[in-house]
Amino acid sequence: METAAHDVVVVGAGCAGMRAAIEAVDAGADVGVVSKLHPTRSHSGAAEGGINAALGNAADDSPETHAFDTVKGSDYLGDQDAIEILANEAPGDIYQLEHWGCVFSRDEEGRLAQRPFGAAGSPRTVFSADITGHVLIHVLYEQLMKRQASGPLTVYEELFGWQLVEEDGRCVGVIAWDLVKGGLRLVTGSSIVLATGGMGRIYRATTNAYACNGDGMAMALRAGLPLKDMEFMQFHPTTLYPSGVLITEGCRGEGGFLLNATGERFMAHYAPNAMELASRDVVSRSETTEIEAGRGVSGSVLLDLRHLGPERILTRLPGSRELAMTFAGVDPIFDPIPVRPGAHYHMGGVATGNWGETELPGLYAAGEVACVSVHGANRLGGNSLMETITFGRRAGRAAAKAALARAGPPSVSDAPLADAERELGALLGRKDGERPWKIRDELGSSMLENFGVFRYPERMERQLELIQGLRERYEHVVVEDKGEVFNTDLTQAIELGYMLDLAWVMVQAGLAREESRGAHSRPSDFPERDDERFLKHSVSRWRDGGPELSSEEVRMTKWQPEVRSY
Amino acid sequence: MQVALKIWRFDAEKGERALREYEIDAPEEATLLDCLDIVKDRLDGTLAYRKSCRMMICGSCGMRMDGAAVLACQVRMHDVAQAGHVPVISAMGNLPIVKDLVVDMAPFWGKIRAVTPWLEPGFSDPGEQEHVVSQPQMNAIHKESLCIMCGCCVSECNSMEADPDFLGPAALAKGMRFVGDARDQATVERLQAYSEPHGIWDCTRCYFCNERCPKGVDPRDAIAKLGAEAMKEGIDSDMGAKHAKWFVTSAKTTGWLRETELVPKTQGIVKSLKEVKFAMGLLRHGKVPPPFPPHVAEHVGEARALYDLVQHEGEDGYDGIVQLEHALGRLEHEDGHGEAAERGPYGEGSFPKPYLPGEESSDGGGSE
Repeated sequence: METAAHDVVVVGAGCAGMRAAIEAVDAGADVGVVSKLHPTRSHSGAAEGGINAALGNAADDSPETHAFDTVKGSDYLGDQDAIEILANEAPGDIYQLEHWGCVFSRDEEGRLAQRPFGAAGSPRTVFSADITGHVLIHVLYEQLMKRQASGPLTVYEELFGWQLVEEDGRCVGVIAWDLVKGGLRLVTGSSIVLATGGMGRIYRATTNAYACNGDGMAMALRAGLPLKDMEFMQFHPTTLYPSGVLITEGCRGEGGFLLNATGERFMAHYAPNAMELASRDVVSRSETTEIEAGRGVSGSVLLDLRHLGPERILTRLPGSRELAMTFAGVDPIFDPIPVRPGAHYHMGGVATGNWGETELPGLYAAGEVACVSVHGANRLGGNSLMETITFGRRAGRAAAKAALARAGPPSVSDAPLADAERELGALLGRKDGERPWKIRDELGSSMLENFGVFRYPERMERQLELIQGLRERYEHVVVEDKGEVFNTDLTQAIELGYMLDLAWVMVQAGLAREESRGAHSRPSDFPERDDERFLKHSVSRWRDGGPELSSEEVRMTKWQPEVRSY
Repeated sequence: MQVALKIWRFDAEKGERALREYEIDAPEEATLLDCLDIVKDRLDGTLAYRKSCRMMICGSCGMRMDGAAVLACQVRMHDVAQAGHVPVISAMGNLPIVKDLVVDMAPFWGKIRAVTPWLEPGFSDPGEQEHVVSQPQMNAIHKESLCIMCGCCVSECNSMEADPDFLGPAALAKGMRFVGDARDQATVERLQAYSEPHGIWDCTRCYFCNERCPKGVDPRDAIAKLGAEAMKEGIDSDMGAKHAKWFVTSAKTTGWLRETELVPKTQGIVKSLKEVKFAMGLLRHGKVPPPFPPHVAEHVGEARALYDLVQHEGEDGYDGIVQLEHALGRLEHEDGHGEAAERGPYGEGSFPKPYLPGEESSDGGGSE
């Protein structure tokens, strides 16, 4: 087996991973980046609407207001110390991205333009038309290439991180499958940073890329780490029908309307003040209610941009127009876009402190894979990109500092490698059995049906049983491709295994949370928020072949829970 | 719908190529990528291709369909299937094949790295503020910054097929992204580097890159912008630059292209002496007009006025090309006479005008 050793190993190379790697190199560490995709293919690049920082360019704003909006948006489940860090450090991080060359949109004075976004008290979202993630990921990759040209930085592209390696109570590396050449590789480091992103692919209707299978969360779970708030999957209100791709919240930020089948702006019934710009959980529930009441249009509602006029659509929302035209055959200049809620962002993840540190020494996490938690029960649009940058930077800094304080790369025994080889041999060696795709499709459909926008006890119970059945079938999956080179049949089978673990954890945590908070809504049995019993994080660990649930206090600084309305 | 595909398979371990046909049942809205997924799931798990976002932004799924580069996620298959056409799917061109539809992107990224693809100067301190740059200034690199690095342009590049060392459309567009950025301080160094052999002047202007780019980057136009800017900066020692320069000189002096002088002006006197025999042959067969006396076009004044205007407006670098692009964009959408203006937002046949609860709906129905 080929091996490599670095001070810091970053797994995943989206915005959080690249930001962490850049920071670690700048801090003096030798860094290796392991990513199953080329960095610019990462799903951060698909983010559209923007990134939140209280610059105050468009209207009066302050980090304090940003923090409060985020706390309220989180339905008071966010950890307030982490939220304050995000709000306070965001402006500096944005200026740095701009100095690196990020192509942001400008206002009349040539400063960074800012647009309104859902549940924000001020126009706070910095953006680049509707391709903000794209410009971020490319500016970060530019900076990564710059450091590769001069510094100790190695990027292992298309190296699929599979298992974390633990030795004497520390995380010391990652075992990975080489997609290009085949074979297992061991990459060791004094510090390991997980930045593998989310897991929207657990749901059939999702904005997420094929790559978003919760890899890092499952790796951490299997290594015995706690996952936090796993029941909170955000459903984005405007995913294109039928393909499910994201149509940005920026459409509503620019003034777009949501209509039901008769053309009524139905949000007036649900959020009379904020209307279309209420928080995402509120809008997704309102849409689902309209659709279920028969006021939808073929399972969707309509996003109407016509009144914005061609010029605004062409300059501010050209990407959304392109997506609507390509995948739905609708030109938003002339016709409203059919949209519906779809799985978009996972608020939960690997539990970390404010420097990305996890319970396992040597292991850090940042971005969607992590749960610091700045999003609590519901994330505000524009906060996740900001989180990847601010907490990616912090995790990279902390990981480098800890690594440089150690004597050198850790030694690793042969045992975990031998185990991994054996496991891989068994999976590849199986000749008869079911191929994974049907299990994957059934998981996606049933999660949407039984653990979607609204959650009902009997459906959640049924989903737990279904997951058990799928897990049993997964024990016998067969990988048809036995080759070494670019074997995505193998990696897709491994990814399905990750998702089956995580689905179990999610539904178990959802059943136990007997209240409605943020994205977790139980209209039939627990329609209200219950701060007395549930103002606390869910914590899930893998014990004896299944998830075990406990809880943890929410860290509060300035804000006590209030009734949340928009 | 029934979809049939022919896919060029490549087995890296055995080094064998084979064209295989697959027939599948796919949903009406299926893209080429969806169809490949169905083939891989249900018919052949060994099929290899890259994919990720399936929304035209990650740049993973570049491949060829019937010999032309596409993003698989962008191509809707309905019309192809209805027409009974069986498209041939193959790996992108100009890059080594790893397996089936997967190419080795290392040469592609090597060229991106060769254009110093980051903002200069150096690592900047975050400071307290952003640079102040107007939106019109930023618009100069709007198209180049749309690039998703999918490789479709490189796949189709004729110059690269002839010269594998040619920097190519994607890398040069990336270069323009910095040359056109008001915040970048290395413009002259960049233009010098990009003007070296295998750089901007080696483009044959076949425009395949513009045609095949799925994001509207128009790499050939980016290369033209670099050329114009290099000449404006006086970086014109390459034969390509001299060639272009002579076109301008010739047009503004006599109003038409004096081809006989083109060769010495481009290649230099010494080099063109070797061509004398060939030139005499052409002359003998009436293929070139005699160089003396020079023929002056009747309305040469117009050509000269145009030249003076461009000089006067300071639009002789990339600015002029950007201005043209924006003018064309306005013609298409914003001139006030387009389809949008004619139909209006709630024109005939479109969805009813939105209304608030309590208001009358536009079709007279009101809220239910």
